[in-house]
Amino acid sequence: MSRGTWIFPPEPSLRLIVDTIEYCLKHAPRFNPISVAGAHFHDAGATVVQDLAYTLADGITYVQCCIDRGLKVDEFAPLISFFFYTHNDFFEEVAKYRAGRRLWARLMKERFGARDPRAQMFRFGVVCGGSTLTAQQPQNNIVRVAYQALASVLGGVQSMFTAAWDEPFAIPTEQSAELALRTQQVLAYETGVASVADPLGGSYYVEALTDRVEREARAIIDRIEKLGGMVPCIQSGLIQKEIAAEAYRYQKRVESGEQIVIGVNRFARPEPERRLELYQADTAAADRQRESLARVRATRDSQRVTTALAALREAARGNENLMPPISEAVKAYASVGEICGVLRREFGTFKEPVGL
Amino acid sequence: MGSNAIRVMVAKPGLDGHDRGAKVIAYALRDAGMEVVYTGLRHSPEEIVNAAVQEDVDAVGLSILSGAHLPLTEKVMAGLAAAGQDKEIAVFVGGTIPERDVAALKKMGVAGVFPTGTPLNEIVPAIKDAVAARRGAGA
Repeated sequence: MSRGTWIFPPEPSLRLIVDTIEYCLKHAPRFNPISVAGAHFHDAGATVVQDLAYTLADGITYVQCCIDRGLKVDEFAPLISFFFYTHNDFFEEVAKYRAGRRLWARLMKERFGARDPRAQMFRFGVVCGGSTLTAQQPQNNIVRVAYQALASVLGGVQSMFTAAWDEPFAIPTEQSAELALRTQQVLAYETGVASVADPLGGSYYVEALTDRVEREARAIIDRIEKLGGMVPCIQSGLIQKEIAAEAYRYQKRVESGEQIVIGVNRFARPEPERRLELYQADTAAADRQRESLARVRATRDSQRVTTALAALREAARGNENLMPPISEAVKAYASVGEICGVLRREFGTFKEPVGL
Repeated sequence: MGSNAIRVMVAKPGLDGHDRGAKVIAYALRDAGMEVVYTGLRHSPEEIVNAAVQEDVDAVGLSILSGAHLPLTEKVMAGLAAAGQDKEIAVFVGGTIPERDVAALKKMGVAGVFPTGTPLNEIVPAIKDAVAARRGAGA
């Protein structure tokens, strides 16, 4: 949701998620099979509180589905991690991560009965940048990303991705991507901020804000649960609508000047003719990929592909774990399109309600 | 009001899954008194052309952040021309559109291009003006 990359309706998607977690538990126990993503909610317009609440509500759904499958919470929960966008409001973002740790630990312990401390951990990665980047005075984005990265570290992030300043226009160039990487390396290796855990703990302001974010997120989670959980709320388009309405509210605040954006509605100047060195997509890449796909199709064992895809179809109709038949189809050189095609025919595709 | 209101379709062609901008634009156009249809994600240019003709819209806004704005827009324009609707329906393109491509889009017959960072108070009047001009020409 929000990122717009779904294929199947929520229920079969949940089955695939639980299949992945179950498979990894048995066959790849050190692999993190799922990153519960709030990133796309936030970047699509959700407030910090909505962002955290929707993400944890998703997390609750995944955990419940794993338990319903018969998996043990202390075994699978340590494999779960989270993924967020850090936007501009510095202390709110710090509070989001601090509140997230409290809420998740409590949920896992009190609601799902996790005993192992690792099963109560709220590990997360972030992206800095996204929709906070501006096309106007684009090099200001370097500064925005640096502050977002700092907020993420002070909030206790485990891993981060820093966006490049030219991403409002195109995929970054090598140079802009390198600068984005150096931004986090300066933070990690020169400033010393990464050598202490939760340095803002005890600050009256951050503690009060953390309490507020926790309380308000808890209220949204409760409301979602009363409506039957995240699945019906996504199917009805409720969450999508709340996020879009918030994006519009934000845009109106920017246009009225109430929400300051440097270079956009404050300290703006006539934009000079831009002579940016932007990334140019290699238009031959699509042809090369098509040729490579044709080559694979011509040389693979087509009988093995047909058998593997038929086995996948059978498995999808039943309720066995789909990872082994998918894995066999991949080994037979079935394409991702062919594999998803089989599942699409069995599961159908999700039609998102688009009411505004 | 009613039948005189400008009808606009906001559309997402191709595989691009980002629709924050498309929805914000849709809300803004609706607040400006227009009747707005939003297609949702991942529609082919053919589907968009058919829907635009069927919905009898005055304008189509294509939201494209994937980098594939040139070929996708070209197909929509050709489809509208084939349906004999290219004079009736004004097409606008918004999203991650580099400046170097604006001229090429205009040459295809696009009525307006709104790259990243274009404020709503530029987009709304541009659509109103283009539709008024077309209705004037048709009358």
